Amino acid sequence: MPTYQQFTLPDVGEGLTEAEILQWFVAPGDRVSVNQTIVEIETAKAAVELPCPYEGVVAELLVPEGSTVDVGTPIIRIDTDPSGAAPAGEPAVPRAEFVPDPKPSAREALLVGYGVKDAAVTRRPRRPGGGSTRPVTPTRIGGLEVGRAVERALADAPVQAKPPVRKLAKDLGVDLRTVAASGPHGTVTRADVEAAVGAATGATVARGPAGVDRREPVRGVRKHMAEAMVASAFSVPHVTEWVSVDVTRSVKWVRRLRETPGFGEARVSPLLLVARAVIEAIRRTPEVNATFDQAAQEVVYHGDVNLGVAAATPRGLLVPSIKGANRLSLPELALALRELADTARAGRTSPADLTGGTFTLTNVGVFGIDGGTPIINPGEAAILAVGAFRRRPWVHKGSVRARWVAELSLSFDHRFIDGALGSRFLADVADVLEDPAAPLAWT
Amino acid sequence: MTETVTMAKALTLGLRRALEDDPKVLIMGEDVGKLGGVFRITDGLQKDFGEHRVIDTPLAESGIAGTAVGLAMRGYRPVVEIQFDGFVYPAFDQIVSQVAKMHARSKGDVPMPLVIRIPYGGGIGAVEHHSESPEAYFAHTAGLRVVSPSNPVDAYWMVQQAVRCPDPVVFFEPKRRYWEKAELDVAVEPAEPLFAGRVARPGRDVTVACYGPMVRTCLDAATAAQQEGRDVEVLDLRTLSPLDLDLIADSVGRTGRLVVVHEASVFLGLGAEIAARVQERCFYLLQAPVLRVGGYHAPYPPSRLEEHYLPDLDRVLDAVDRVMEF
Amino acid sequence: MDTGDPRELVQLLTPEGERVHHPDYDVELTDDEYRGLYRDLALVRRIDVEATALQRQGELGLWASLLGQEAAQVGSGRALRPDDFAFPTYREHGVAHTRGVDPLQLLALFRGVSNGGWDPHEHNFALYTIVIGNQCLHAVGYAMGVQKDQAESAVIAYFGDGASSQGDVNESFIWAAVFNAPVVFFCQNNQWAISEPLEKQTRIPLYRRAAGFGFPGIRVDGNDVLAVLAVTRAFLARAREGGGPGLIEAFTYRMGAHTTSDDPTRYRLASDLEAWKLKDPIERVRSFLWRQQLADQSFFDGVEAEAETLALRLRDGCRSMPDPGPEQIFDYVYAEPHPLVAAERAELTAYLATFAGGHQ
Repeated sequence: MPTYQQFTLPDVGEGLTEAEILQWFVAPGDRVSVNQTIVEIETAKAAVELPCPYEGVVAELLVPEGSTVDVGTPIIRIDTDPSGAAPAGEPAVPRAEFVPDPKPSAREALLVGYGVKDAAVTRRPRRPGGGSTRPVTPTRIGGLEVGRAVERALADAPVQAKPPVRKLAKDLGVDLRTVAASGPHGTVTRADVEAAVGAATGATVARGPAGVDRREPVRGVRKHMAEAMVASAFSVPHVTEWVSVDVTRSVKWVRRLRETPGFGEARVSPLLLVARAVIEAIRRTPEVNATFDQAAQEVVYHGDVNLGVAAATPRGLLVPSIKGANRLSLPELALALRELADTARAGRTSPADLTGGTFTLTNVGVFGIDGGTPIINPGEAAILAVGAFRRRPWVHKGSVRARWVAELSLSFDHRFIDGALGSRFLADVADVLEDPAAPLAWT
Repeated sequence: MTETVTMAKALTLGLRRALEDDPKVLIMGEDVGKLGGVFRITDGLQKDFGEHRVIDTPLAESGIAGTAVGLAMRGYRPVVEIQFDGFVYPAFDQIVSQVAKMHARSKGDVPMPLVIRIPYGGGIGAVEHHSESPEAYFAHTAGLRVVSPSNPVDAYWMVQQAVRCPDPVVFFEPKRRYWEKAELDVAVEPAEPLFAGRVARPGRDVTVACYGPMVRTCLDAATAAQQEGRDVEVLDLRTLSPLDLDLIADSVGRTGRLVVVHEASVFLGLGAEIAARVQERCFYLLQAPVLRVGGYHAPYPPSRLEEHYLPDLDRVLDAVDRVMEF
Repeated sequence: MDTGDPRELVQLLTPEGERVHHPDYDVELTDDEYRGLYRDLALVRRIDVEATALQRQGELGLWASLLGQEAAQVGSGRALRPDDFAFPTYREHGVAHTRGVDPLQLLALFRGVSNGGWDPHEHNFALYTIVIGNQCLHAVGYAMGVQKDQAESAVIAYFGDGASSQGDVNESFIWAAVFNAPVVFFCQNNQWAISEPLEKQTRIPLYRRAAGFGFPGIRVDGNDVLAVLAVTRAFLARAREGGGPGLIEAFTYRMGAHTTSDDPTRYRLASDLEAWKLKDPIERVRSFLWRQQLADQSFFDGVEAEAETLALRLRDGCRSMPDPGPEQIFDYVYAEPHPLVAAERAELTAYLATFAGGHQ
């Protein structure tokens, strides 16, 4: 039975990657012996003759003269057991044309001295559960065992937290030693610090000595908020309208949606339905999703609804927006709202998130507030404040019942949105919250 | 007008330009003349520029470095070659004691505008002393500048810039990349000056800083990471002394996570300096400690073992995983 | 270039295999010993040829061939006593053979399986030194140790014509002279240091350097195993007896490339080789044996067969040489435990265990 061996092109010069086949000295059918010169190749450094590693009969020359092949490519096939007959019925494998054999996988040692191997471009397969091996514990960062004395000190150390978390705690006046740590390996997280802030009674900001004035510089987000509010309030004529809405059906919808598959990962809250209501209502009153371009004396009707949601974050008031909220399905919108909230809470809202909004929602309800006179976000035309969803006495089907009621407060830019438009929009939002199926009947 | 060149060829072309542009430029080293260098980097140069400008030296590295000092004092610009990284040590005395200190000692009267070219790094299946990464010893020495190109185009331009530099430049050439190819347009000089790094691949999630032979490895790792939904920014440092800390700090400012990769052993390698400076400068921007991937604190192993010693795609991505876990 | 006084090239066997006399040096060998030298030369050549082929087949990353230098190495190697110590460069496979080092152990280095390959103290044969010239200082230090022990051993330090330019080699001459160390410096002047010819390393014949340092130097026909044996014996004896160092320049030729990575066609002419082929070290011994009727065809056939068997063993042994495990990176870095090395060993072991199929 023929036994075939292949000779692959070696790296003959410490790091060569390829060679040209200059001349074959044997042909298929020739007998060859070990160390017989069979081919001359040319590398970047030299022309070299290669001796045969096998004894037998040449079965096939795999690479023609004149071609350049990579180290590791099989160049000749030799039958080292030519006296054995092939079993009957087994056809020879014809090779009509030159097809370069695939290189051995990057992980195989190319004979010796790997030469300059093919770079791996994918990861080696891992054992199940075999992820990165080094435990991510502060005492073993980098895999170096920390000396015993230091280990002891770390065990006694009051707190472990990342630098940004430490800064946050310092800025908020939180003593890390008093914070419950919920992070991996006993570390205090940003959320832990924020929770500690929320739980603190009284002022969360470090107090100065009683009776003495204290100055605090206005920086960062706070400064931006101050400037934006001034710009908006003193250049745009604000009108605020409000309405009270029976939102009971919406509350029931929220409960139903929470149990619906497709909403599993998302946060389904009343805010989701308010967002949806706003998006639907914008279809009928696109003016509220526009910008008044004072300089060009034009109104820019935006193609998408980039829905901003005011968020109180550790850095202050931020309004990240969900881009193209009008094109999202309800589950997608729910997910987007959740991500927005998570990102804001983690303090990782990016600059891109904070620009490009076209309409803003502000949820004052979480503070237990019903409504107010919200200030429009600069560059936008309107802002809707949603008050707390409360149980209130309401006339329902002719009698007084306890229903879920909320107030909606809409401020709009009276340079180009008049009372009729503003009212219609607000009424539409209210309608959708009162009856989530209302948009089906809209024209 | 572009041509496809290997890094070796790009270096040859760059050295040729250097010889053409300045008659004071000399090339010296073992086997650089008649043979054209054991890696053929100086191929054809002696034939075209003559034996008085492309010089085969006696077999003595200390002699090569020491006589270069004297030639520089006489107004020449020697470009010397140390045949392999592991053979630079006899020259270390002259380099550190004289080349590095002459300008300071003479208060500028005696500059040392010379280039010391050293093929370095492993991955070529060689015997002992042919796969070292000694760049940290030289970067640690004030008075020397240390650079390393990662690709043929940089090699072409950087070697010429190094020759024109009035300070001594230790020019580390990644020998395992000598045969890799790229398109070179000799009419288009890149924007970066010699002592600046570059973002080789932009990304958002984590910064991987590397140089020389590891740049290709890290770019491959970034490609693999992309499949896993990770966006890796790769920095090609190019210059080791001075370090381009602005480049690194800007990147870390955006990603918050840094992994440094080099073949040299981690213990007291360049990654240590980078990590220290980054934690100082970017303390509040860091989401994770700076991790380093490199060789072990052991002599470079026999070539059958070198793949376990050298950082590869998996080890780079392992470090990326770990910084992302924070 | 001044190639020296032709009379100062000690020769006892001409290229044609004729025995000649020298006033100062001679050997008296038994018939078996003569035949033994031939056998040594033939086996050493076969080892070298086989290893070169193995490199070309991808089984070795590199090989430094000694082709043409067999007599210089066998002649000097056979002059050593068991308690003498030899410091080779990286090409002394012939000396290794005379010291009893298994050639497979040499292959381990070039295959990339080991940075060493044998225990120097087992054969009194140091590990190969790839940095040029380092070993000469080691040899002098060892010889100084022998002196302090008041032992009657000698040390031989091998180096090439290129190495003679290195600072280490010249420093070793100074030390050996100043301390009168029992070391013989054996320079195989094979005319080439990769591509650089002898003129690039010296303006005078190398053996004359010794005078400048204060000890005797001699030039011997490096392709004449008898002359090399005679001169080396004499110099070693002198060293052992407290006569101090000496320099032997074995004038020979590197018939092959510097290593398998080199291409000599780029810097030397084929015609140069032709002249030296006529001075082949093995041919002259073969002629001598025939001429003196010290050997018959069955002897030569026997040696040939033995060489073939050895080659086959080398081949099979090389190809089946096991790869070291990755943890061996960390073995023996220090003599005593080191925390960083231990930590990194554990790290690599754990890392490799996370891969499907284990490490390869």
